[in-house]
Amino acid sequence: MAVPVEVNQVNAIRFQKVSKIYRRSHLGRTTETPGLVELDLDIAKGEVFGLLGLNGSGKTTAIKLLMGLHLPTKGEIETLGRRVPDVKVLARIGYAPESAYLNKTLTGRESLRLFAALSRIPAEEVERRVTEMFAKVGLDKALDKRLSEYSKGMLQRASLAQALVHDPELVILDEPVTGLDPLAIKEVRLLILWLKANGKTVLFSSHDISEVERVCDRIGILSGGRLVKVMKQDEWRGKPDSLEAAFAAAVVRTDGVGSIRME
Amino acid sequence: MQTLSAVFTYTLKEHLRRKAWLSAALFGLVLLGGVIIVSALGADERMRLLLDLGLAAIEAITLVSIVFLTVNLILAEIESRAIFLILSHPVRRADYLLGRFLGTVAAVALGMAAMSLMHALLLSLYGWWEPGRYFAALACMFGKTTVMGALSLLLSLALTSEAAAMAFAVFLWMLGHFSSEMRFLADRSGSAFLKTTLVAFSHAAPDFARFNYRDFWHQSAPTADWLIWAAIYTLAYATACLALSVQLFEQQEF
Repeated sequence: MAVPVEVNQVNAIRFQKVSKIYRRSHLGRTTETPGLVELDLDIAKGEVFGLLGLNGSGKTTAIKLLMGLHLPTKGEIETLGRRVPDVKVLARIGYAPESAYLNKTLTGRESLRLFAALSRIPAEEVERRVTEMFAKVGLDKALDKRLSEYSKGMLQRASLAQALVHDPELVILDEPVTGLDPLAIKEVRLLILWLKANGKTVLFSSHDISEVERVCDRIGILSGGRLVKVMKQDEWRGKPDSLEAAFAAAVVRTDGVGSIRME
Repeated sequence: MQTLSAVFTYTLKEHLRRKAWLSAALFGLVLLGGVIIVSALGADERMRLLLDLGLAAIEAITLVSIVFLTVNLILAEIESRAIFLILSHPVRRADYLLGRFLGTVAAVALGMAAMSLMHALLLSLYGWWEPGRYFAALACMFGKTTVMGALSLLLSLALTSEAAAMAFAVFLWMLGHFSSEMRFLADRSGSAFLKTTLVAFSHAAPDFARFNYRDFWHQSAPTADWLIWAAIYTLAYATACLALSVQLFEQQEF
């Protein structure tokens, strides 16, 4: 299942000393929580990169910063050679969040038409792209059903379709396999490999170490908002449990949750 | 333009599917009640009551609809996180906001058109039909609706709380009916602080006297000049509210 690393040397993503601090004010008191601390990371074009980390480690923060949904407190971010935030570059990026946040009053077709139009796909091509994408994610029979009638798995597929409808160069998937059944997980894995085979750059976050080690060229482990380790595929390929051991050694719980006691 | 029209269409569809048109059904019930009540009255009183009751009901239902829909317009998208997906596409936030706003105004205008059609049909059944005055009244209501929609949207983004935005919108809507009184009091006031406060409130709150078609109702239809000034005021007030909304929205993180 492992794919040989063959990336070109141009960066698709570049974080330069990026920090994000969440500030919350309540009754005159301001609390600061670091979401991301001094993140330095380059991801090459054509690479599949996995972000691993516990809950609250900064994976989603890093992705939201890339998408311009959050603004960095410090540092600079570039995607596909453009400094973030940049609306135009979003036409070359596909993003699927951890849950399918689709408007459920629309049908599958209407929803995908909307995202195709927002991605500036020429009007005469929209219908073809919509039909193709729904066939690609296996939802062609549900195209004209309201999204409110879709199951969770179907919604995740529709969310993937909206991320890919404009044939992006860079695909960002936030926990794409969370909550999916084993068959669907396998399909997402194959989709990531298909994207790589088609020259796309893929960044995805996950808790699932076994999935990450099957598809990634490199991984980065985040803990408490800091990038604590970056590993290449050859560091874990053919070495069972090595990635899990590296992960367990690198991360520290910062959410105040203790271990489950076995006695 | 493609983005704006896509967001506009999506918003309009969303409102229609969430049954925003039920406002027209509610109006139908009001009219039915009105007909039952007026059946016992004489011809003149019956006509006046049907006309006033109908227009007042259209205005009230439309205003409640626009305030409720615009206050929830962006906050509900943030709550459901649907906004993540929209803004992760190449969409300028200003286009998104404008498309959402115009889609909502269009949905409310459709409801208003349905109510007016029912009302006009009923009035013509009772032998009253004066399109000039009737359309002038509708145009004034539409202006008021647009102004309140833009103001409610701004309040929802500034206060980030649906309940607070709705309360402030109702408060400013009430103040909007007393703009000239506030300016009169400011002129008479000896206190500089009170004067400044009253003037500030009279300018911040919409001036609904500009939409008061009832001033003309029993004489003749409003003049073209009066209607043009009402339209200019609507555009200026709504544009100012939308520009401030865009400023706030541009800085927001999701």
